[in-house]
Formats: sequence, structure tokens, C-alpha cells
Amino acid sequence: MINRYARLYWEFFKMHVKVKMEYRVDFLIGILSVLLIQGTAIFFVAIVFQHIEALHGWTFYQILFIYGIAQTGRALEFAFFDNLWLLGQDYIRPGKFDRMLVRPINPLFHVLADKLQADGLGQGIIGLIVLITAMVNLPIEWGMGDLLLLALLIVSSGAIFMAVNLFFASLSFWIVDSIPIMGAVFTLSDFTRYPMTIYSKGVRFVLTWLIPYGFTAFYPATLFVENADFEKIGLLSPVVATIAVVIAYWLWKKGLKAFSSTGS
Amino acid sequence: MRKYWELMKSQIKLDSAYSIWYWSGIVATMLRVFVIYSFWNAVYDHRVEVSNMPLNMMLTYVILAAMLSNYSAGVGYELANQVRDGNVAIELMRPYDLMHKLVALDLGMKITNSIRNTLPILILAFLFLGISLPHTWLMGLLSILSAIIGIFLGAQLDMIIGILAFWVFYIWGLRVLRNAVFLFFSGALLPISMFPEWLQTVSEFLPFQSIVYVPVAIYTGQIIGNDVYTSILLQLAWLVVVYTIIRLLWSFALRKVTIFGG
Repeated sequence: MINRYARLYWEFFKMHVKVKMEYRVDFLIGILSVLLIQGTAIFFVAIVFQHIEALHGWTFYQILFIYGIAQTGRALEFAFFDNLWLLGQDYIRPGKFDRMLVRPINPLFHVLADKLQADGLGQGIIGLIVLITAMVNLPIEWGMGDLLLLALLIVSSGAIFMAVNLFFASLSFWIVDSIPIMGAVFTLSDFTRYPMTIYSKGVRFVLTWLIPYGFTAFYPATLFVENADFEKIGLLSPVVATIAVVIAYWLWKKGLKAFSSTGS
Repeated sequence: MRKYWELMKSQIKLDSAYSIWYWSGIVATMLRVFVIYSFWNAVYDHRVEVSNMPLNMMLTYVILAAMLSNYSAGVGYELANQVRDGNVAIELMRPYDLMHKLVALDLGMKITNSIRNTLPILILAFLFLGISLPHTWLMGLLSILSAIIGIFLGAQLDMIIGILAFWVFYIWGLRVLRNAVFLFFSGALLPISMFPEWLQTVSEFLPFQSIVYVPVAIYTGQIIGNDVYTSILLQLAWLVVVYTIIRLLWSFALRKVTIFGG
């Protein structure tokens, strides 16, 4: 079963690479664009830190560390799960989703495998550059165990990004296209670039327990950064990720059942 | 009975689609403003001034700049899509200038957007986030004039995407690229006066700061005295220069298309 899906994904993957190789300039533009937009955000923080020494007790490299975790986690989601955004617009509205239902594979797998977002590579590169820059400049001894833990947290981060998107994309089964809602919810991830201590209690509660973007970067970062008061909660990241994925998939299943074609 | 029930449901779906777009847009903008607000408040923690600006001046700048930067683009993407799907050929035969038409449509959209979206958020920001009024009324009016010039300039610069679409297939990538350049050099994220010296110099030779930084800085009083008038004149000069360059590029691009036979 898993073997079959792995082989299928590989076939899809090869097709995407072939297509990308046809449009090399576009591929480069995509990567460059992501590099530049992320670079802009980092440059922004760097300029602000020319004028101040710390943000609520967090230094420049500590902020960069949070940012790096978020961007690397997001890159995983961006590269492999980006098609969820288009579920309503490209599949349900034009009636293309009906086709997925008659095929002998899991429709969610099919939607996901339909697209590989090459720009995710650009995002991953800049995420890693930022992360490593931060890690080298922080006064932390990085042991093998730390690195493995960090990798696990980054995968969890990607899974949380994916689960939140899957949850809100699934609403498309009822309202045809939920992309504006997904967009609004995704704006919340902007909050996670900075230490959560700068927000009010209410905001922190929402980002911790309702839409768990806090676990995509800030809480994991507090496990490694010395001045933090949150030490333990970051370890919950993989658990939160698992629960989020389960809930999101449950809603997707429910949506599938409720789905009736637009008939176009 | 069942089929009429389903028809009713589909109409509800259709109607709610528009309001979902509207409300999601408002919520997203408010969230963004709130992040900006929290971030700058944290920056000013235990500080009275950063780069010679008190907190309320800074908040006024960054929030207005964020709102104004929403207006800096739009036409180029539309043009690029028309170039890509070939509609541009038909459009060119029609008795109007395609670029002017796009700007007109875009302006209409921006005006409705101002009333439905920007205005309510600005009112909330004035009431709850401590944004200041313009430091004099004359400067308030001049900043509106400057903002309008900036919006026209942004629309012209945006056309570049449409022109590049003749050669590049990946419009979304171009758009993100454009966003990055605009966002940074227009001063949408923070006042250009906070940039390091060398970057301020670079920025002075680029048209982007005329789109957001100049109008907002006139409003907050970061640009004062005669500099206000020279800045606005400079904006106008940029508008003329960019308009001419874009026109030349466009006619060059079109010639290329005719050679290929469209």
C-alpha cells in the first residue's frame, strides 16, 4: 500500500521535474523571487536592529533563529502541499474534483501529488541559510542530539502549516472555494516571526491552542535559546502537529462525504 | 422538492462567496496591521525615540505605509494575463489604448476598495492604535496629492510585468519578484530614513520611494518645508520618465510579437 503510493509519487515527481526543465527561466525566476521576498523580510529586521539592541530581550540572532525555523518548516509545506490552496479554485469549482473521486487512489494524495512547488526549493535554501547563520552566531554548543531534535521540530512545523491549510481548504467542500479564508488564517503565521511575548494574552492563546502557529517556530526556538521562560512547551510541538493533522484529515473526510459536485 | 432545495442552497453558496471574500480581506488586513502595531510597540519598549522618531509618529508611518502599499500594483498582472492568454491581440484592435483602459479599470477598483476596505480600517486605527492626524492640514492635503501621483507611478512601473510576460511564462514568480522590490524600496515596511546611509543613496536614485515613502513622510512631517515641494516635483518627473520608458518598451515588445505573427 505505502509502497504503491511511494512509487506513484515518484512517477508524478519525475513528470513535474520534466515540465520544470522545459521552462528553466521560469524555474530560476521562481527561486529568485522567493529568495528576494524572504531576503526583504530579513533585511527589514536587520535594519531595525541597527537602531535597537534587543526586542523584548531577544537579540537579532535569536529572532533570526525563530525566523529560520519557521521558514524551513514552511518550505517543506510549500514544496509538497501547495496544491491545497487551489482545491476550490482549480478542482471543485470547474468540476475537476469529480475526476479524482473515480480514480483508484486516495483523492487527497492525488490532489497533493498533482503539483510540486519548485519555489519551495528557494524557500528551503533561504530558510536553511538563515537558520544556520543564526545557529552559528548563537552561543550554543550544537550536539548531535540537538540537531536531531531541531530537525524533528522543523518537520513538525511543516506538518502544522500543512494541517492548518488542509483544515481550511476542506471547507471548500461546503462553500466551493475557501481560499480567502485560508489567506486570512495564513496571515496569522506572520505573528510567529517575532517572539510571542510581544503579543497580548488573547493573541497568544489563539496562536497556541486554536491555530497552533506558535508551535511552528517560537516554542521550538525557546527550547534552545537561553533567556526563554517557556522551555518545556516546545517539546509538545510533534504532539501538536500530530493532533492537528488528525483533526484536519478528519474534516477533509467529512467534507468528502458532504461533497456534491458543482456540476459544471 | 429535493431539486428546489438544492437550487436554493447553490444560490446561498453563490451569494456568500462574495461576502466571504470581503470579510476575509478585511480580517487579513486587520491582522497584518495588528502584527505591525505589536512589533513596533515592542521595538519602543523602554525607548522614547528610535531614529529621531517617537512611537506615535512611527506607528502612523508604518500603518499608513502598509495601507498605501496595497495601492501600488494591480495593472501589470492583468496585462500579463492578457498577454499570456492571447487576449491582448483582440484588445489591441479595439478603439482605445489598452494601458489607459487598464489604469482606468484599476482606479475604479481602488476607489471602491478605499471606501469598503481602507477607510474602515483607518478609522479603527485612528481610534484604537493611536495614529496621529497630519501635522498640518496643508501637509495633509499635499500628502493626498502626493499619494495619488504615487499610485499612478506605481501603476506605470507595474506594467513592466505585463511587458515581461511576452518572454516569461511564470507570471506568479514575476509578481512575487515585483512585490519584493516594491515592498523594500518603496518604504512600505519602514521609513527610508532608517535605512543605512548607502542604501538611502541608492534609494534616492530609484523611483520606488516616490510610491509610498514620499506621501507618507509628508503626512507625518518627516519631510518638511521646501523639501515637500521638491519631492512632489520629483515624483512628477519620475512619472513622466517611467511613463515614457514603459511606452517605448511596450512598442518594442509589440513589434516583436508581430514579427512572430502573434
